[in-house]
Amino acid sequence: MDIAGSFALLLAFSVAVYAFLAGITGIITRRTLLTKSAQNAGMAVFLLVTFTVGALEYFFFTDNFSLAYVAEHSNRALPGVYKFTALWAGQEGSLLWWSWLLSAYAFLVLFLNRKKHPELMPYVGVVIAGVQIFFLTLNNFVANAFRVLGAPDANGVMRVAQLADGHGLTPLLQYPEMVIHPPMLYLGYTGFTIPFAFALAALLGRYPGEKWIHITRRWTMVAWCFQTVGILLGAHWAYAMLGWGGYWEWDPVENASLLPWITGTAFLHSVMMQEKRGMMKIWNVWLVFTTFMLCILGTLLTRSGAVNSVHAFAQSSIGTWFIAFLAIVLVVCVLAYWKNRDYLHSDNELDSLVSRESSFLFNNLILLAACFAVLWGTLFPVLSEWVVGSKISVGAPFFDKVNVPIAMFLLFLTGVGPLLAWRKTSTDALKRNFMWPSIGGLLAGVVAFAFGDRQFYPLICLILSVFVTLTIFSEFYRGARVIAARENVNLLTAVGELTMRNTRRYGGYVIHFGMVMIFIGIAGSAFNKDVQQEMRVGQSMSIGQYMILCQNFDSLANDNFQSQRATLEVFKGRKSLMMLYPERRFFPASGETETMVAIRTEPLRDLYVVYAGQDPQDGNPVIHAFLNPLVKWIWFGGIVVVLGTGLAMLPNRRTAIVLAGAHEKSWDDAVPAGTPAREISAVTRGANAND
Amino acid sequence: MTRHATILTSAAALVLLCVAAPSRAQQTPAHSARAKELGKRVKCMCGGCNDAAGSCYHSGGTFSGPCPKALEMLTNIDAQVASGASDDAILKSAVQEYGPTVLIEPSKSGFNLAAWIMPVLVPLIALFAVWETVRKWRHRGEQTPAAERGTVGAPSRELLDRVQREIGKD
Repeated sequence: MDIAGSFALLLAFSVAVYAFLAGITGIITRRTLLTKSAQNAGMAVFLLVTFTVGALEYFFFTDNFSLAYVAEHSNRALPGVYKFTALWAGQEGSLLWWSWLLSAYAFLVLFLNRKKHPELMPYVGVVIAGVQIFFLTLNNFVANAFRVLGAPDANGVMRVAQLADGHGLTPLLQYPEMVIHPPMLYLGYTGFTIPFAFALAALLGRYPGEKWIHITRRWTMVAWCFQTVGILLGAHWAYAMLGWGGYWEWDPVENASLLPWITGTAFLHSVMMQEKRGMMKIWNVWLVFTTFMLCILGTLLTRSGAVNSVHAFAQSSIGTWFIAFLAIVLVVCVLAYWKNRDYLHSDNELDSLVSRESSFLFNNLILLAACFAVLWGTLFPVLSEWVVGSKISVGAPFFDKVNVPIAMFLLFLTGVGPLLAWRKTSTDALKRNFMWPSIGGLLAGVVAFAFGDRQFYPLICLILSVFVTLTIFSEFYRGARVIAARENVNLLTAVGELTMRNTRRYGGYVIHFGMVMIFIGIAGSAFNKDVQQEMRVGQSMSIGQYMILCQNFDSLANDNFQSQRATLEVFKGRKSLMMLYPERRFFPASGETETMVAIRTEPLRDLYVVYAGQDPQDGNPVIHAFLNPLVKWIWFGGIVVVLGTGLAMLPNRRTAIVLAGAHEKSWDDAVPAGTPAREISAVTRGANAND
Repeated sequence: MTRHATILTSAAALVLLCVAAPSRAQQTPAHSARAKELGKRVKCMCGGCNDAAGSCYHSGGTFSGPCPKALEMLTNIDAQVASGASDDAILKSAVQEYGPTVLIEPSKSGFNLAAWIMPVLVPLIALFAVWETVRKWRHRGEQTPAAERGTVGAPSRELLDRVQREIGKD
């Protein structure tokens, strides 16, 4: 089976090379048969890599420890689900997993578009095949997961050896989130290859118009959504597993996942400028290129050991390969741009600073500023070592200081941008759209201040969150009111109708609301409290309004781990609320210990309890309790973002065009008098032109 | 040690821990508030974690709290606090002992100043570039006759021709 797996992997590499070369030849010679053959080869790569992944999983499930990768990341006692996820626990397997996801995306893109866009798809196939060749090169020749263990026999001849048991999966990965967090994140990373391939293909092939953007919009949103889910699941895993009471530590690997997400977000916004006004074409192409390159850079940081990280894979020379690939991608992108830059000429120019276009410009500027700040802080230790010869630390306080003001400005734009009209917004429209949300925000700030919130950024965050929420709700309300009046339905039905008529616009609002929830949740961390105490049976500790009484300590064991567990009763006042069971698990196979945090979660706060172990000095058990306000809002915000993204990807139900009179004034303001467009307007303001 | 022996030892330890005790729990560890705050500005130099000494939880360790190295660093800081040393002097002493890596964020001097300046400078330059671009666009827009400017909902001849070409191609 190992030979079959290796062979399929090698064949996948050969087929990808064929897809690349045949694709280029087909484009140059304009032979349709050859380009079709290349695309079929691109789809075949998926089948071959799927077989390879299946073969490796077979080794995990049959406890075949003759394979070095299986021996390093599994053991007999490992539960089945973790045997499956052990596939991406190490360098070799995770790169294979990356190749499989990429090949799955490639298969879907090539299959779904096999009869469409005959001028564009050959280029797309070539770009994807180029990326596949790189990863399959790593899978075959640099980090092969099918390496067998060898040992010399009595005659000194090397034979395949099999260990009795494996070293086991690192305990940090034996947690439910770890079953889905890496695939989600990788689906995000690999998914950005698709818009990259289309952007580069459109540029190379000088494909007319904005069609590549229409084709890739959903692909980009899918990748962005997976990246969002991946990042949030990672944060939740850190929160529930590591036992330090937080969820984001600005670790280089966390930062690496954030970078393409930020540029992807910028792209999803600025792309509307190109669709609606034919503007920012160069910017958009470079945003897509940058997003893809940041995915590769993130992978380089995670895998090369260039920066210190708790998440990083073992240090290896694989970084050189990524640097080379990154350099090749950069050169190809620059050359493609330079040769075809005339193709990216803007159709329109900005008319006013108070317009939707300028808000997108500033939104992109702020997002890129955040991206730069995170990248700069992440790479500064390496830079410092190069320049002055000493490596310094750039920890969470730096990132907080630099990024929090940027995030506040971004939150402000989240509220302002969608309410500005394309081209120009009148002063009347500004007053009408922003007066009540501004008053609401300020009022919330005054109330919070009166109740004792004296911290600057949380207060600003609250004011802006209320402001943005009110702008979002006012948009739904005003649109729904028009529909309710015209179609004689209740407001709730009208909201549904409004949303389904322009899913992209209103899905976007839902995403913005989810982001507001996440911001509120993050702002809550400014009010975190914690107490660490020695606790024996019968003793208690207090934190906030809770009292924790230690009821018992016991131990549990199974084949995989031995656990020490505290039984704690939680009281609020005199009322017993629940029992919490924080644990410490020792995994004999790897010799590591991990915490299993117990959390009582409420809408306004989490009571987060860690059994820290026995004090090294006096041997007494120690309980560390945290009171973390509003954390739940982050996870709920993430769910809302996902729902909003799903909504934005749905096709519009229909666009009802009615005679003038139904349009709103801000739209009216945006359209110069005497234009034909004034004669008709969409009921759902901007269903056609005002997304 | 066999698995059964390990479990028995753990159980015995737990039985000892479960002995009834006075109901007042002891807060640990006992370092001054200022030492804890300063501890959050220096890295735990145990080499096994990336935490600050003041908030070391040492994931994967036998104890999820300050590891011995973090405790030693906090105790050292506490001693300096007690001797009346200023925050800067305490941090400088940590740098002398462990090198510049010990500081959790870059200092605001020498080359490290670039770490702080660049995230502000680069967006400002970008803002200026955007501002200039917008100014040029508006200037050009004002010079272009209104009839030649694109209007919302009224596509230009050029755009209509292009759409026609694209429809023809697909």
